[in-house]
This record gives sequence, C-alpha cells and structure tokens, in this order.
Amino acid sequence: MDQLNVFHYMHKDSVIHRMDCRIKLGCMVLLSVTASFASTWADFGILAGVFAAALLGSKLPVAALLRELRFFAFLILLVFLVHSFSVPGQPVQSVPLPGLTVEGVTSGLTFAGKLLLIIILCVVLAGTTPLSLLGKAVEWFLRPVPFIPEARVATMINLVFVLIPLIFSQAGEILNAQKARCVERRKNPVKRIIFLAFPLLFQTFKKADDLALAMEARCYSEKRTKAVFKATPVDWGILIFSAAVFLAVFFVT
Amino acid sequence: MIILETRHLTKIFPDGTEAVKDINLSFREGEFAVIAGANGSGKTVLVRHFNGLLMPTRGEVLLEGEPITKNLVRARTQVGIIFQDSDSQIVGQTVAEDVAFGPENLGLSPEEVAATVKETLESVGLSHLANRRPHLLSGGQKRRLAVAGVLAMKPRIIVFDEPFTGLDYPGVVQVLNQVLSLHRKGHTIIMVTHELEKVLAHADRLIVMHGGEVAEDGPPGEVLGRVGRYGVRQPYGNRPVETMTWIS
Ligand SMILES: Nc1ncnc2c1ncn2[C@@H]1O[C@H](COP(=O)(O)OP(=O)(O)OP(=O)(O)O)[C@@H](O)[C@H]1O
Ligand SMILES: [Mg+2]
Repeated sequence: MDQLNVFHYMHKDSVIHRMDCRIKLGCMVLLSVTASFASTWADFGILAGVFAAALLGSKLPVAALLRELRFFAFLILLVFLVHSFSVPGQPVQSVPLPGLTVEGVTSGLTFAGKLLLIIILCVVLAGTTPLSLLGKAVEWFLRPVPFIPEARVATMINLVFVLIPLIFSQAGEILNAQKARCVERRKNPVKRIIFLAFPLLFQTFKKADDLALAMEARCYSEKRTKAVFKATPVDWGILIFSAAVFLAVFFVT
Repeated sequence: MIILETRHLTKIFPDGTEAVKDINLSFREGEFAVIAGANGSGKTVLVRHFNGLLMPTRGEVLLEGEPITKNLVRARTQVGIIFQDSDSQIVGQTVAEDVAFGPENLGLSPEEVAATVKETLESVGLSHLANRRPHLLSGGQKRRLAVAGVLAMKPRIIVFDEPFTGLDYPGVVQVLNQVLSLHRKGHTIIMVTHELEKVLAHADRLIVMHGGEVAEDGPPGEVLGRVGRYGVRQPYGNRPVETMTWIS
C-alpha cells in the first residue's frame, strides 16, 4: 500500500501544481458537485474532457496512475452490477437475465461514471497538492468560523496522512511475521483478525505517542506560522472555467 | 563555561520504576560527551530531561544556570534531541515540510521559515530530496532528516539517542561525519550509544550509566578499561581510544 503512487503528492512543475491551494480546493468542490449531478451523455462528455485535460495538465504519470486505478475497477464494477440488477423496470431484451433492467443498466452506468470521475478528481488533487498545504487551505477556510481551532484541525489532517502509510506498512510487517510462523494454518478468521489487530493497535498507539513526544520536542504550538496564499489571474481563470462547466452541466440537464 | 547541568535528578515513574537516581552532571559548552550503559540503565530517560520532555520527580535541570522549567520553549530550542527511531519523528509529508515544522511552531514568518529550511537542508546535504516523501528515504537519509528537523531550531546542544542503530557502514559514516561537523561548528554534543568503537576517538568524555546511576565519568582513555563491568562491551581488548572511529 505504501508503494502505491495514487493519492500521493508528486512534485512536478505544472499549472495545477502552482495553483493557489484555496482556489484549487474550490474548483475541486465545484467540479465534484458537478460530477455528482451529471446525468446525460453530454454531461459526461464535457466532464470527461475537462478531467482528462486536468490530468494531462498536471503532468502526473498518467499511465502509471491508471494502472494503479485498476484497484478501483472492482468497486466501480460492483456499483454497476448492483444497480443493474436492483433497479426495477423493463427487462433488457437482448440479455434475458432475471432482474437485469434497462433502467438498472442506465443508472448503473451513470453511477459508475460519477464514481470514476470523482476518483480521478481526487487523484489530481492529491497528486498535485502536498497535504500540509491542503490542511493549510482548510485552515484558511475555517479561520472565520468561530469556536473551531483551525490550527488544530490542520495538524490533525496532516497527522492522519502521516500515520496512515505507517500503519499500512506496519500491518504488512506484522502479517509477514505471523505468516513466517504459519498463521495461515489457523482456520478461524476471527482469531486471525485478533492476532493482527492487537499488535497493530498497540504499535499504532506507541507510534502516536512517540510522534507526540517528537512534536513536543520541536515546540509544537497552535500559534504557528500561517500560510500566505496568493491567487494569480490564471487561478481565477481556472475557477471561472470550473464555474462555467458547472453551469453548462446544469444548463444541459 | 557550564552550559547544561543536572542537580540531584531523580525520576520515579508512576509504576514505581526508579529510572534515574540522583544524577549530578554538568556539561561544558562545546564538549563532546558519550553516554554508554546497558539496556534499561536509564540513558534515554536521563536525556529526555534535558529539554523538559520528562519532568524530574526530584532535582532539577539547569540551562546556563537557569532552571529549564522557567522557559520550556527556550530549553526545547536550545537543546535538540534526535530520537532513536527516526520514523516516528517525521511529521511532514515532504522532507522540506518536515524541516519547516519546528520553525513554524516558533511562529517565524513564512520567508524566514523558507530560508531556514533551505539553509538547513543544504547543511545536511538533503537539498536535492526536498520534495520527496520522507518515508521513502534510506535509513541514513532519514536520520539526517531527523537531525535537520532539530537543526532548524538552531540549538546549541544536540543530543543523539543511539544514532547508529540500524544503519549500514555508509550510513554510520554519514551520521558520524555530520556529528563531527556540528561539533566543529561549536555545538555541544551529547551522544547516547554503546557502540563505542564507532565514535569514542572523537569524544572528550565518557559517562557510563548503570542501574539509573552514573557509574563512571571521565576521559575516555581512563574510563574505557572499566566499561565491561557495566554491561558495555569494551571494543577488541585493549585497543587505544584513538583508533575507535569509523572514519578513516
Ligand atoms: N514511561 C515509563 N514508565 C515506566 N518505566 C519506564 C518508562 N520509561 C522507561 N522506563 C524504565 O526506565 C528504565 C530506564 O529506561 P531507558 O529507556 O532510559 O533505558 P536505556 O538506558 O535508554 O536503554 P536502551 O539501551 O534499551 O535504550 C527501564 O527500566 C525502563 O523500563
Ligand atoms: Mg534508550
């Protein structure tokens, strides 16, 4: 899991990497809302074009990312199948399978399409934005909201993403160590989960403890240096373009 | 000049473990001290008192004559500790971000933070990896990153807790060279290690801990002959101290 590149920041010099993080976040929200409302072929055509442009414009290694996205193919297929067989309606003439309906297939396709679009959006966002910057952008949006300690929220977002890869590699190591001691001969899956979960939990808490200590040693405080964001005309242009896509999709539907 | 001093430092953990007992040590500015001792002899617990990460049950720690409790932030910037496990010290998603963490905590301006990060990464030779994910670095590089994270706070005293564990030969040499260059620049170095043969030639002083107490304290040449009693391996019989380094 920690070897995967998908959803990891990759440093490149592209328009999307250089974007003001607040505006990028705004565009992403706008576009994902748009994607979740998409329904006609035209909508999907427009969005697919825009997203492909974003993916190419981000200079991320598209081929490698697409290969890694195959892990999501199963999920997307599942969504499609569940819809195809669960939505009531006209049976499909050419494929006489019980439960398969025209409405189901259409709805399955739309949902699978939306899912795919949103995953691509996440890949672009994660690949072009260091998460700490994302945290800082969220912090910026939270600044005017009273009673929310925005610095703490930003740190929490940051730490979650530092800890997750560690936890995965830890789980892999524990599992390997147990395989070396023939855990596979245990037939009871519950037992095996317990064997994995306890050391993992224990080590994760220890890691979190160590991390807290290391942060304290480096004077962690919530009065930290605040990020300074600067939006360029290009950023505004991209935001306006995203808004236009949003309106176009709503207009077409 | 005495820069760091402990007086009757005693730490008893809530479970009753008396980890360090009545420690009286003082470190001169610019000194290079090595602390050795068997597993569980209290080395880590001792050094974590130096910047107030642990608070003593009895006794006190003085930084330039002032109790560190008076100004903890000052103690933490002046005394940098590099922990044994580099992985759990990493708080940033890129190398540069990780180094920026400390200066950002001190509330420096973004320009100052950027300048400090650049300068620090150059000094540890990690500039070319500034945008990498820290967890993908090699062991030696990770340790250098941990050092960079501490150096960015501009400390005067640098404490290394077992800096050689898990490093291969080039890794050890890299870290050792870095320690020596910091020492030459005037930093006070306190190094916890039991791998004496890798570093003792460069040290001014060898302190041996045993059961939470200071058992020996003196010039390496004098103390070395007696370390065997305290569970520390004396390297290769009666080799002279000057040969105990991995830098040729
Ligand atoms: N949080 C704690 N609670 C209770 N006992 C502790 C705690 N931390 C350390 N100890 C105990 O204090 C003693 C000294 O531990 P310390 O970690 O300082 O040893 P060390 O000399 O660094 O050993 P090592 O070479 O293994 O790193 C040990 O007996 C340990 O079990
Ligand atoms: Mg220790």
